[in-house]
Amino acid sequence: MESVVGAAGSIERAGARRRRLPRRAAAGYAFVAPALVFLVLFALGPFVFTVYVSLHDWNMLTPVETMPWRGLENYRYLLLEDPLFRETFRNTVAFAIANVLITSVLSLGLALLLNTQVRARSLWRAIFFLPYITSTIAVSIVWNNLYHPSYGLFNGVLGLLGLPGQRFTSSVEQAMPSMVAVAVWLGVGYYMILFLAGLQAIPLDIYEAATVDGANSWQRFRWMTLPLLRPTLLFVAVVSTLASLQIFDLPFVLTLQGGPVNATNTVVLYMYQTAFNFTRMGRATAMAVMLFLVIFLITLLQLRLLRERE
Amino acid sequence: MSHRQRSLASALKYAVLIVGAVLMLLPFEWMVVASLMAPNEIMARPLVWLPAIPQLQNYARLAQAIPLGRMYLNSLIVTTAITLGILLSSSLAGYGFAKFQFPGRDVLFLLVLATLMIPFFVFLIPVFYVVSQLDWVDTYQGLIVPHIVTAFGIFLMRQYMLSLPDELLDAARIDGASEFAIYWRIVLPLVGPALGALAILAFVYHWNAFLWPLVIIRSGDLATIPIGLNSLRVYASQPEVINLQMAGATVAIIPVLVVFAVFQRWFVQGIALTGLKG
Repeated sequence: MESVVGAAGSIERAGARRRRLPRRAAAGYAFVAPALVFLVLFALGPFVFTVYVSLHDWNMLTPVETMPWRGLENYRYLLLEDPLFRETFRNTVAFAIANVLITSVLSLGLALLLNTQVRARSLWRAIFFLPYITSTIAVSIVWNNLYHPSYGLFNGVLGLLGLPGQRFTSSVEQAMPSMVAVAVWLGVGYYMILFLAGLQAIPLDIYEAATVDGANSWQRFRWMTLPLLRPTLLFVAVVSTLASLQIFDLPFVLTLQGGPVNATNTVVLYMYQTAFNFTRMGRATAMAVMLFLVIFLITLLQLRLLRERE
Repeated sequence: MSHRQRSLASALKYAVLIVGAVLMLLPFEWMVVASLMAPNEIMARPLVWLPAIPQLQNYARLAQAIPLGRMYLNSLIVTTAITLGILLSSSLAGYGFAKFQFPGRDVLFLLVLATLMIPFFVFLIPVFYVVSQLDWVDTYQGLIVPHIVTAFGIFLMRQYMLSLPDELLDAARIDGASEFAIYWRIVLPLVGPALGALAILAFVYHWNAFLWPLVIIRSGDLATIPIGLNSLRVYASQPEVINLQMAGATVAIIPVLVVFAVFQRWFVQGIALTGLKG
């Protein structure tokens, strides 16, 4: 700390400022230093290390200094020779698109509904929000049993209605839609609350003016609510896309590590398996880097879209 | 709109809400009901809606299968420690960035924003390596320490603290208060709402966290609730396992729902606050 204080002091003296400032600058460093040291140790350093390992072969047991250099071989292998990586990537993108679209539309609809004159609004809000705060693991176990082909609730209800039973998470075709359904159920209340907050920030008198001018409810929604909600829409789109692309808990437990036959395996799950079941750290970190780049580009794109429309 | 149309629209609105609410609550309802069923009731077709006699012994079986009390204690220790760490580190650094001028401040804050953009899975392997080098695998500190600082928390607190009046802080300085005393006695009480929102988000997130505990926990002694529940998942889904799994999920979820019911307003406000700030 002494040296930091000294350095800050000399800089301030060089600037010939008031005598009180050095103490303030030193205090500023003291307030931010502990957190920054942590971020370097547990975030920025690891980020650089991830990129470094992705260019090497490593099993995490041999010393870091001796890991053999592989250049872009891990990336080439994953992109060109590993059909499972491509499959997990396709699965992840398909899951993200379906989840983001369905969840945003439903949560916006619910928010619009709850933003009108509704009795017991906070009760409805609480009910839709409930799943979000529960453990994904517990909820995945419950849903896996709801989907059970022989003993599940859903096939029981279909049976009562005289309809044929479905295989849900046990079939390659239905596993992904079944997983999306759970994700929508989990997230819809959270995004609904974000939309509600956005709606409540819109002043009511502009609607009154539009109604006087003869705008019907669809016109008011399309030309007033939607444009004014743009910041919230963007935030929801970014947050739900990022969360969907990183999906791990759900396929790990709901479909027992991405089954059946990898129909619900995702990039982060495959990365976990590559790293901790097969100890191929080079390939696993290369997956992490590629998915990170995708996430980064999508975030930039979405931010840019907002700016343009504003 | 005529009176008739209006009441029709209103009826439709409540119909949609009721159907939606049933869909949201049905999994919870079935979780509790199935946890009290005998295996033959779970197998029964046509479907049985309620157990003839609630099989409370399913919960006794659950307590033998997994260390419930220990799991709760572990989750409580780990989540509380992480949350307190995040509150302290975020408010300290947020205050430093919001209210002090020092050389390099903006560059350092950009560094924080950069880490905000990087999701946790990117760090997973290196952080595991760091923790294993520290010999912290399968320890509380291994579960806690890597998470006690978050770029998001620093960002949130800094945004909130920008609006604090400088005159107030300067008045305290003139009165001779130390910088830390100003932070502790004046700043912290003023940012209560932001701290509350951050605490709720951090607590919920880490209470339910799965990936990091999955990687770091090796022994049953350290199992948090999600990890303990996951150990029930490895059995084949036979009826006598299904009611056990449902009992496990019930034990994990019901207390969280009770806490939520009590603090609902805080949850909603906290989430709305962070959404608007983001």
